[in-house]
Amino acid sequence: MKILIADDSRVMRQIVVRTLRQAGFGDHDLIEATNGREAFDMTKSENPDLVLSDWNMPEMTGIEVLRQLRAAGNAVKFGFVTSESTPEMKDQADAAGALFFIVKPFSAERFDEVFAPILG
Amino acid sequence: MSVEVEVNEDDLAEMVGQVWESYLDPEGINPLIPTYDEHQPSEVHSSVSINGSWTGHLVYACSTLAARRAAAAFLAMEPDEVSEDDMSDVLGELANIVGGNVKAMLPPGALLSLPQVVLAPESSARYPNTERIGGVYGLWEDEPVSISMWHSRAENSEEDGA
Repeated sequence: MKILIADDSRVMRQIVVRTLRQAGFGDHDLIEATNGREAFDMTKSENPDLVLSDWNMPEMTGIEVLRQLRAAGNAVKFGFVTSESTPEMKDQADAAGALFFIVKPFSAERFDEVFAPILG
Repeated sequence: MSVEVEVNEDDLAEMVGQVWESYLDPEGINPLIPTYDEHQPSEVHSSVSINGSWTGHLVYACSTLAARRAAAAFLAMEPDEVSEDDMSDVLGELANIVGGNVKAMLPPGALLSLPQVVLAPESSARYPNTERIGGVYGLWEDEPVSISMWHSRAENSEEDGA
């Protein structure tokens, strides 16, 4: 499977990659986007199976990326990995069709719990 | 309109504890030892601003060595391999993570800025019309680290001395 990790923080992309490996998902093809616009464009051009997106990013926020993908008819599995988590954000994410909402700081156990059903 | 802050020092300490547990001290051997000294020195700092239902800043300040060690822990590198960019990115992420967690406890309608990093002491920063409302101050492997919250006072407050 191909997984797109979208986060403007290089550190956080690296930590997400490392945590995916620790949780046993390191064999998947991992690609990275450094802002929301790039995440949107790469989701269309690279056709990943899963998108893990930060919320607060330059160019486009994560929720804008998800909404625009859905508006364009793209049904990619999409979820958030973010330091921000409020009930209103979770509602917005659910309404837009997000599959999960992981809050930073996170653990390999949390990744396993969320991704095992999705990635097998 | 602004509301009274709903995040106290215990909440902040819990969030900071989670960051240590997840990233800086996963083995549980080098915790942040509280000093309760809001005046402890720093050499570098990062901040995020929160605007809306609560307005203010979350500031992460520490020594250069503590920043280097944090970057090494985040990036799974040795401290002497850490570049200035690594330190800046990790400092920004630390403010972002704690700031995001603070925001989650505030009433709806707060917006978090992208992090700002300054490789200079926290004392060089100026946050106009703000007051420090709490913080977690400690030593991490004998190096100073502080995480503080600054609340913006009501508009047009001119009480601030320069």
